Amino acid sequence: MIVAVAAANIALGLIYTCYGVMTIVDLKNGWRTRGLSHFGLAWIAMAFTCGPHHLEHGLHAGISAGNAGSLDFLAVGLGAPAGLTWFLLRVEAMFGGSGDRFIPGTPRAVRWLPWIAVAYVVAVVGAMAWILRDGVHLTPRITPNILLLFVYSLIGYYLLRTQLYNRGPSGGWSLSGIALTIVFPTCGVMHAIFAAYASSGSYAVESHGLVIDWLAVPAAIYFVWVVRALHLGTFTDWNEGAEGVRTTVAIA
Amino acid sequence: MTVLGASAWFRSGRDSSAVRVVSVLRVAALLSVAGIGSFAAHSHGRVAHLLLVIGLVGVPWSTIVFFCADRPDNRIALYGGPLGDLLVLFAVQAILDGAVEPVLPGYLVLVAFTVYTVGRSFAAMIVTGAIALTLVAHQIGPGEQRLHTSITLPLFVGVIAVLFLVERTTVLQEKATAASERLQGRADKILEHVADAVFVTDGAGRMLVCNPAAERLVGRPGQALAGAPCHEVVGLRSGERALDCSSGCALLRMPATDGHELWREDSSGRRQPLLAEAAEVPASNDGGSEVVHSMRDITRLKQAEEAKTLFLATASHELKTPLTVISGFASTLLRYPDIDDKMRGSALDAIHTRSIELTRIVERLLLSSRIEAGRLDLDLSVVNVTPLLRERVKSSAAGVSRTVTFNAAAEVPDVIGNPQALTTVVDHLLDNAVKYSPNGEPVVVDVSTGDHAVCISVGDQGIGMDAEQAQHCFDRFWQAESTDVRRFGGTGIGLYIVHSLVDAMGGSITVDSEPGQGSTFVIQLRREGAVPEQQPTSRKGEATSIREFMRQIGVPERTNR
Repeated sequence: MIVAVAAANIALGLIYTCYGVMTIVDLKNGWRTRGLSHFGLAWIAMAFTCGPHHLEHGLHAGISAGNAGSLDFLAVGLGAPAGLTWFLLRVEAMFGGSGDRFIPGTPRAVRWLPWIAVAYVVAVVGAMAWILRDGVHLTPRITPNILLLFVYSLIGYYLLRTQLYNRGPSGGWSLSGIALTIVFPTCGVMHAIFAAYASSGSYAVESHGLVIDWLAVPAAIYFVWVVRALHLGTFTDWNEGAEGVRTTVAIA
Repeated sequence: MTVLGASAWFRSGRDSSAVRVVSVLRVAALLSVAGIGSFAAHSHGRVAHLLLVIGLVGVPWSTIVFFCADRPDNRIALYGGPLGDLLVLFAVQAILDGAVEPVLPGYLVLVAFTVYTVGRSFAAMIVTGAIALTLVAHQIGPGEQRLHTSITLPLFVGVIAVLFLVERTTVLQEKATAASERLQGRADKILEHVADAVFVTDGAGRMLVCNPAAERLVGRPGQALAGAPCHEVVGLRSGERALDCSSGCALLRMPATDGHELWREDSSGRRQPLLAEAAEVPASNDGGSEVVHSMRDITRLKQAEEAKTLFLATASHELKTPLTVISGFASTLLRYPDIDDKMRGSALDAIHTRSIELTRIVERLLLSSRIEAGRLDLDLSVVNVTPLLRERVKSSAAGVSRTVTFNAAAEVPDVIGNPQALTTVVDHLLDNAVKYSPNGEPVVVDVSTGDHAVCISVGDQGIGMDAEQAQHCFDRFWQAESTDVRRFGGTGIGLYIVHSLVDAMGGSITVDSEPGQGSTFVIQLRREGAVPEQQPTSRKGEATSIREFMRQIGVPERTNR
């Protein structure tokens, strides 16, 4: 179990860090023509806190054989395939591919997703209650994890809302959107599980992780602020004149 | 100094930039407080826990203020932020056993920022900062040179208050000027983009201002019109008489209505119908008055009215022809009840044929009316086009002495459509092909298969159309030449119906035509099971990740580059 959790975390850490680098390349390429992207900067800040967080978690679990519980696998087991899908689609787009797959209609697998999500949440909450069955020993060091759970869930909600909204006009689903929508809540779940283990006394809270988590909080707040400001239209970013971004339905 | 530098940088940006800077710093500071509290919780006990509590209360609050700072002049950001800062400082002071000295510089910097935030005065902030630094220097200087806080603070607050009042007055004046300019700009923008021609004249009828639509109407630039008499420039006429503006604006004297239908001669001597109106407004610079004239070119409206009149005439003609035949034969049958069976059969056959023709005309008219009213709602289903087309071609060829060829691939996939609508479309196109090939040229119907669609083409070798005619052939009531009504008959709504039906089936129709060479109409209907073609979300070398994430999180696209 420890090896699996460590490997999944290291894989996710590498994916998010590589993704951060890819976004830096994007930002550099577009800077001259489109100017600075707050959205890009915020996303890079998140990638470079999420990536090292997973790497640090994986290395601690793998090397010191600590801080790895079976519930961790519940988070990374779902987050890793979704994160990998999103990453591979972005790599494909970088090399001129479509960077997305259209899923026409609502296939059975997608139709089951809400029920799977409900079952997942129930399982996570139940498992956390089981972890904390011997008492809760709250420590201030779980603070950033609680804040991140809230902010990542909020971002996940934004993504889910957009996927549901796009479903009608496009007549199907975007694989890229579904993958990204899964990534954020599972990140939040991972922090919640960490907080539960730490509060049960199972995990020793190492300072490396704490520093990274505290850096992740302002990065996530910055990201939510940028998204909200773009929705309000208080400033424009690379969404201005972004032709070709919208998925249009065309009949040949 | 970092803070001062950042503020100065942001000062050149938006009006609310200072509030934003302070908001960002506040979030960062409180996150630091919470972080320090959580790190030191084990070693520093009570103090660390209190810092953590302050941080945990302060982070959500400061984040809300930070988000509120997006909106200019938001009161929560403007006043709630500094107020909360004071509370935090009091709390920190209480934790640190009430010592004033350690937090006094903090107070002063905060007050400086409050002044800057509320009064938006960079000068006031520098002065306040200088005073703050002086006070700090006194605090750390030798004991006898220190100024007592009870003296320095009221003095400091008094200076700030005076500065604040002066700066606030200046800011209010700036705001009033900016608001006035904004309103003027807004009015200019509206006038510039309004579709109607607008002229403003003085009391004597001389041109003062006009918008681009007015320049287009009279065909002269605005500068050339300044001071020119309005009635000479525009030359409005009512009936055959020019409006007399010698004793004031004639349009203004007309009875108040929603507009007066007048006309003028344009630069090419063409009669240009206008819907004109005038209103008296107070002059901008003195106590006099000015007159605002608005004029709408209703040439297209008139053309549409003419087209409808023509349509009524042609439709009546189309209806009258079969009705005359039906009525004539019915009268004959009534008048001569004893005619032989052969003649009776011929008469009944003619009545039957003409009544079918009449029914088709009425159905077309009703369909056109439904389309125009937006009540065309087709039930789409899977349609096998080959047998349907073969049957329509056979039926059409039987009714006319014409060769109608049907070519279809061995396996044509089913399409998404409506069988009745497709039948109507094909019948219309075949009718047209036959009608506009008066010399008996052959008609060809082809069916081919594309990646996502099935293409049905109906071609003839008749009179054809030129490019302009082809461009308008799907318009309602349109016919290539008015003489066609007499030459070929028809109501001018057939191709309009065809286009609307194909559109309702999610397909498309195009025409390829040459005068004297004939016309080919090509319909494309979506294949069953065809996945909508997806445009790539991005192209190689473009910023992919950032824009894709924006798309997925629903950031609205803006096109006002």
